[in-house]
Amino acid sequence: MPPLLTTIVFLPLVGAVVTALLPRQHTAWPRMAALVVSLVNLGLVTWLAVRFDVDGGLQFVERAQWIPQADIQYLLGVDGISLPLLFLSALLLPISVLASWKISDRPGFYFTMLLLLAVGMNGVFVALDFVLFYIFWELVLVPMYFLIAVWGGPRREYAAIKFFLYTLFGSVFMLVGIVALYLHPAGGTFDMTALVGAGFPAGFQWWVFAAFFLGFAVKVPVFPFHTWLPDAHVEAPTAGSVLLAGILLKMGTYGLVRVSLPILPEASVAWAWFVALLGVVSIIYGAAVAFAQPDLKKLVAYSSVSHMGFVMLGIASGTPEGLNGALATMFAHGVITGMLFLLVGMVYERTHTRLADEISGLSKQAPVAAGMLAFASFASLGLPGLAGFVGEFLSLVGAWRSELVPPAFVIVAAVGVLLAAVYMLWMVQRTVLGTPSPAVSGISDLNRLETAILVPLVVITVVMGVYWSSILRYVDPAVTALLAATGGM
Amino acid sequence: MLAGYWHLLPEALVVLGAFLALFGEFLPGRDKGAAYVAAALAGVAALLVAFGGLGEPLFLGQIDPDGIARFARTAIAGLAAVWALWIAGRGMPGERRRDAVALAMFASAGGMVLSMAEDLIVMYIALELSTIPAYVLMAYRRRDVSGLEGALKYFLLSMLTSIVMVYGLSFLYGISGSTAFDEISLQGAGTLGLVAVVLTLVGLLAKMSAAPFHFWAPDAYAGAPSASVAFVSTVPKIAGIAVMTRLISEIAPEMPELVTVFALSAAASMVLGNLAALPQEDVRRLMAYSGVAHTGYLLMAFAPGSELGYEAAVFYAVAYAVPSMAVMLLAAEEGTAVTDLGGLATRRPWLAWSAVVWLVSLIGIPPLAGFFGKLYLFGAAAADALWLLVVLAVITSVVSAGYYFRIVREMFFGQDRSVEAVPGRGAEVVAEPRASVAALALLAFATVAIGVGASPLLGSLGAILR
Repeated sequence: MPPLLTTIVFLPLVGAVVTALLPRQHTAWPRMAALVVSLVNLGLVTWLAVRFDVDGGLQFVERAQWIPQADIQYLLGVDGISLPLLFLSALLLPISVLASWKISDRPGFYFTMLLLLAVGMNGVFVALDFVLFYIFWELVLVPMYFLIAVWGGPRREYAAIKFFLYTLFGSVFMLVGIVALYLHPAGGTFDMTALVGAGFPAGFQWWVFAAFFLGFAVKVPVFPFHTWLPDAHVEAPTAGSVLLAGILLKMGTYGLVRVSLPILPEASVAWAWFVALLGVVSIIYGAAVAFAQPDLKKLVAYSSVSHMGFVMLGIASGTPEGLNGALATMFAHGVITGMLFLLVGMVYERTHTRLADEISGLSKQAPVAAGMLAFASFASLGLPGLAGFVGEFLSLVGAWRSELVPPAFVIVAAVGVLLAAVYMLWMVQRTVLGTPSPAVSGISDLNRLETAILVPLVVITVVMGVYWSSILRYVDPAVTALLAATGGM
Repeated sequence: MLAGYWHLLPEALVVLGAFLALFGEFLPGRDKGAAYVAAALAGVAALLVAFGGLGEPLFLGQIDPDGIARFARTAIAGLAAVWALWIAGRGMPGERRRDAVALAMFASAGGMVLSMAEDLIVMYIALELSTIPAYVLMAYRRRDVSGLEGALKYFLLSMLTSIVMVYGLSFLYGISGSTAFDEISLQGAGTLGLVAVVLTLVGLLAKMSAAPFHFWAPDAYAGAPSASVAFVSTVPKIAGIAVMTRLISEIAPEMPELVTVFALSAAASMVLGNLAALPQEDVRRLMAYSGVAHTGYLLMAFAPGSELGYEAAVFYAVAYAVPSMAVMLLAAEEGTAVTDLGGLATRRPWLAWSAVVWLVSLIGIPPLAGFFGKLYLFGAAAADALWLLVVLAVITSVVSAGYYFRIVREMFFGQDRSVEAVPGRGAEVVAEPRASVAALALLAFATVAIGVGASPLLGSLGAILR
């Protein structure tokens, strides 16, 4: 049995190669292969989570020399910050496979890309060497490009290349930052764990933080780097949207927590107001634009910009509450937005429209779909008792307590919570309630497979919302350790 | 006494391959046989260099088979072998194979000697040996007027810059009284020293199509057969870079003005090359401009004048040459307009996916050869605090993704305009020659392997420098 993390990261790669080589006349084989691989992957990650010691810090570390001339290592490990995200990635993969069950156009190609994407997603959250981290970071670009460009909507090619070029633009600056850390006398290594507390001078940190932030901010995406997101989300196939919102956006905020805070602590303090400002602007801007969207998928996409703003705010605060809140929001947003994109996709398959004005009376025609949509919307707007509330509440508390974030920002952000309620409830009112519109009348309700895809997400949303420590027991010790390593902020 | 001279055996094998190819009439398989024999000999030469160990300087120190030379010679001989293998499968359009193969082998032998040169005279002769066959290769379709025009342009500019270079060499000799690299010292030579070095560099930069000496490349490439371009645009570049590291590191190790010279040329090449490549509709022109851009990245590594920079330059020259040759061979098979590649993914999926690997490597996306090449380049430049140059390089890399992905887009989403796709034209499926498939597969494998297996390669490079 090879080491667990290596297996988790590279099992999808093996699956991708196998899927690519399957004979083309058997159109059902690729999805079966992808499902088996993704379920085994989920099983392995669950097993990892069970064996994980919440107070044990960095665990399951695998270290080997890769390119000794430049001190580049093969270094993997998982802690309380990365474990929830790794689990989220493993959870959303089989769901994406099942959501793509009806893909009939070149299924082998499709599921190969999906599994290749999973290699990058899993890898980014466990890589602890900067070069390895960057490799996984960039590895998601090509499969996601093809997922959007081949199976996307009408403007898919434009959206795909826009996604590719924007995120590439951000990440090359991250590469410059990585090289800068390596070349600095206080650095001299690509080992992320060794660079924590390396004591870089503050002026140097300021520049490197800027380089990294550009890479992370495009990925998150924060206003004003967000323009690729609505295009990519609207054109992407459902599974692409789920993984894009669920995992790829989290890579940016994960980078802030994993790289910027511990390695560049002084710059994180110096930049905190700016990060918080962008977070708050994203919250309000995302909510306002979501409010004006007639297209449901765009609405969910812009609501992502808004929710990721809370994550940025929590991270900027530098307080234990804020960071716990940021990480909880990242996990919850992955689950809830995944649900929303799945539901929009399912409704679209039936009504052939995503315009809120043309969809009404879902509750009469398709009660299960309507109920799920209402539930996901409530979770998204941050209803107490559901997952979305945990993180946003903690982020706001953390930001309020923090000396780095001006109180006015927090007040404005709190208004954002209200706006989320407005645009979500208005959407629910238009689509779920009322009399069935022509597009809706005659459609079938969710079938068993579709319900089965959604139920695990519903359960997680409720459990996390009621029993906060289901996630905080992993996150909190890691956050405490992180803040201790940087001497608090 | 003669023990060390077996280090020249690989060059002898490549020259032997050239002569055998010239007399292809008498080989089994004739024209095709000539290409196979040359490919085999060049392949053996590459293996001999790679595993033959390092040698002491030969001929009173005029050539030196050291670490950089080993790396460059392996790559040159290996790429020449792959190219000949491809020619064995596909041939030159409308012409005989054997002369092209012979020319390529002569040029490769010249490049291999060039990368070992430790003396001005040897350097100049080897440079001409590697360039003169290239003129003929570029004009290989002798009835094609535009091809002849491009080749003539190449010939005239190349000759002109060679003469400028000789002028510079004469100054170097005048300053130091010697033609051996290690005896030339420009300490105290002042402005004259700088002029001499810059004049010498003009010749090398022009052959590598660095701005501002890049004008010949797009026209020459666009007129020439794609297969010729595949060779001429890649293999001589490796040798040029190798000899440049040697020359600069020995005769002008610490000349602050050179930093400016290299930085300006690098910046101009990156910006001009990448921006000019964006609107191109012809793969050869696109690759010509992208070649200018990649030369710009390479020159960036010379600006710091550090050992790390020289290593990075030689490594990147190879990391660039492998996928670049592959893309040009792809154009040779499928047509030279970007739109000719339309529908390639349905027509020949494996080839299309290999092309994605090559193009993505040229952009510099991990974990392929181009990424590690760029990582070392950026590292070398950044180590000397040339941050502006690094930032310019990363931004232009993103620009390059724009035009490389135009090709990807065309392959996967473009309309299939090939003969087989036109209904009623009789879809005669021609079996692909196994030799050319093998050549392209080797290039795809190498693009991945140079990236993932960068460690031992760097070890072999660093052996002599550290």
